Amino acid sequence: MLIYIAIYIEKFSNKRVKIPKIYKRKPLKVTLYKNQKEIRLPHIEKVLTVDLAKDKIRAENIQKEIASNYIGGRGIGVKLLFDMLSPNIDPLSDENILIFATGPVTGTIVPLSGRHVVVSKSPLTGTIFDSSAGGFFGRELRRSGFDVVIIKGASEKPVYLEIDDGHVDIKDARDLWGKNVRETTSFLSKDGFKVSCIGKAGEKLILMSSIMSEYTHACGRGGLGAVMGSKKLKAFRVKGSRDINISDEEKMKKYVAESMRLLNASPVASKGLAYYGTPSLVNLINTMRIMPTDNFRKVHFENAYKVSGEYIAENYDIKKKTCYNCFIACKREDKKRGIELPEYETIAMFGPNSMNDDIEKIIQANLICNDYGVDTISAGSTVSCYLELEGGNDIETPLKEIVEGGPLSEGSLRYSKRKGKEGSSMSVKGLEIPGYDPRGVLGLALSYATSNRGACHLRAYMVAPEILGKPKLIDRLSFSGKSGLIQIFQNISAGIHSLVMCQFSSFALSEEEYSNLLSAAVGEKYTSEEFIRMGERIYNLERLFNIREDISYSHDTLPERFFAEDRISKEEFDSVLDEYYVYRGWNKGVPTKEKLDSLGLKKEAKFLVERDS
Amino acid sequence: MWKEIAKFGKKLVDGGYLSSHFGNISVRVGDSITVTRSGSMLDEITEASVVTVDLHKPSSLDLIASSETIVHREIYKRTSALAVIHAHCPFAVVESLLNDGSIEPYDSEGKFFFHEIPIVTGNIGTKELAENVATSLEQHKGCIVKAHGTFAVGKILEEAYVHTTMMEHSSKIKYYCDLTKNK
Repeated sequence: MLIYIAIYIEKFSNKRVKIPKIYKRKPLKVTLYKNQKEIRLPHIEKVLTVDLAKDKIRAENIQKEIASNYIGGRGIGVKLLFDMLSPNIDPLSDENILIFATGPVTGTIVPLSGRHVVVSKSPLTGTIFDSSAGGFFGRELRRSGFDVVIIKGASEKPVYLEIDDGHVDIKDARDLWGKNVRETTSFLSKDGFKVSCIGKAGEKLILMSSIMSEYTHACGRGGLGAVMGSKKLKAFRVKGSRDINISDEEKMKKYVAESMRLLNASPVASKGLAYYGTPSLVNLINTMRIMPTDNFRKVHFENAYKVSGEYIAENYDIKKKTCYNCFIACKREDKKRGIELPEYETIAMFGPNSMNDDIEKIIQANLICNDYGVDTISAGSTVSCYLELEGGNDIETPLKEIVEGGPLSEGSLRYSKRKGKEGSSMSVKGLEIPGYDPRGVLGLALSYATSNRGACHLRAYMVAPEILGKPKLIDRLSFSGKSGLIQIFQNISAGIHSLVMCQFSSFALSEEEYSNLLSAAVGEKYTSEEFIRMGERIYNLERLFNIREDISYSHDTLPERFFAEDRISKEEFDSVLDEYYVYRGWNKGVPTKEKLDSLGLKKEAKFLVERDS
Repeated sequence: MWKEIAKFGKKLVDGGYLSSHFGNISVRVGDSITVTRSGSMLDEITEASVVTVDLHKPSSLDLIASSETIVHREIYKRTSALAVIHAHCPFAVVESLLNDGSIEPYDSEGKFFFHEIPIVTGNIGTKELAENVATSLEQHKGCIVKAHGTFAVGKILEEAYVHTTMMEHSSKIKYYCDLTKNK
């Protein structure tokens, strides 16, 4: 079936206008790839490319090969970015590309499927970067007629992108520029639109800026909000009423029922998180003595209870908030004030890691970060770093400096380097470490070090087996067997982020259930191993991207602080890292020719051959 | 590593999942497989009872490795498994003789974790068996070789052990239920 989608361009007007204003629209013919057969792809298929510099919009089907090999979400975003981006460009220049992507199960009856992914080159880390958010935006995007939206170039003046049931407009956002997330979202979400936007932080190109969906759902990490700001793209709003295609509805119902049985039987998913939300981790992490405290100089916080999930439940009138089709509902709101409450990572960074036991101050810090559009982990960790170097316990002053674009806003690594104290930045590849001290969770330590986007707990999600015992409890204080495990979990997570499903589904679901859900969604059989293999392909392609950017294996490490006093033996760490490379089929962090050929990445690896010859 | 293999070898024999000589256990370590030796008793494993062989190709050490090493190797080559247990679980063998294709567990745990347990064919130690088992385990956590026994995979040995015991449990429940229904 030839896809013809009505696309309309709105020429940018130089006149100052009130928003929204109806412009004359010109229809644009859809351009398909050369030799593209007229087929109805059950995969992720409809890609919209918006060139803000040239005021051009194009819609096309994605190549079947890409859809089949990269699933959707993170995978397709990574593939498109790799193919489209020239090496060594400035992430905040108009050459960078921003990709919003959904996956084949986004917005369907699959539980925990309300997420979308944004992929770009990070201005914070210089690496390839995917960041995802929950809520309802992803579902609405698919219902609006598009699965993936690529944003190229930069507008001269502030604009926002609108998709209204297949109709695309670039609209004037000058009246919105200078406004924060709450005000922008409130204005643009009228008439049923779902809104992703940046606050003042993104406008000021602050390197830890987030993209916020529906007020509180953050594509938080990596500074992708600054990329959006550099394009003068204030917001992206969508509305749709189209059905989302499922290839085999009967099978999908069966697999969803099986998945729900497993999720309901999981105490972490159906009880712990459902009762206290993610702050349920505070007391557990502290008891295990892996709570980042005093900028990772300690592992236990005496007053942790005062910032815990239990304390919040006892002292606040709480309302649960959920994403699309999620029974866990891990988000929390203060019913009286109608404000969002912080999640675990935010509490860990602005609380114990900054030696602060005042939950109200953390709540306020969270509100400020969400409104300005700033990643709470990077901001909190940078505040902790500042307090280590400058002294004191006031979190408000450094946070103010961050959101207003002062020197601290460049993140802990650049700040500490300027101070001549690089060792005080608790980061990997420039991305601040989240709320689990790696000295007490050695699999996570290896996972932080080998992550393609920098320190991230979600790349392999070793929190599940090493801390929560899911699917099996493994010894968190031993490196034994971890190198093999990490690469499998990294591959599986890449698959989950490409479906796109919430990471919390992995408390109960395995590659078997994920591959079944994928198969039913797209109508082609994927085995468990094929699902893992796709994750491996994505992980290797990300690695190739980073190598092309001259990010070498020397970046696969941890801050020296963790090796001090032999808390983590550097010798043992290096040995396990080498073992990890063996499992990966990599040589000093670089995928071997055999590995790349086996994953079908020969073409992508051409630059390696040219470089080495 | 042999200590971990010894621990689960003893548990398997003590639990009645196999008799001492029948079955084998392996773990993947980088590009190698550490596997129980042919003729070793699984409840009395020592350091000398295991051998490390190449993951990618047979070597001279295969001579003393378990006769099913060919199957273990094929599983590791084609799946992301890091541990494999082969056991001659009695009820699983009975169910494989009573059914073809696969069995669907009746018990809730079996339903949750397996959905279905495939039954595959092939003679002991053959390439055909290795291919059939590996193909099956590309999608499932465990399978039963007809008239022979179970193969289960895991990311750690404990997981492969759980999958083995669950296959036997599901087979036992199904056998007794069917027996009662057919009275």
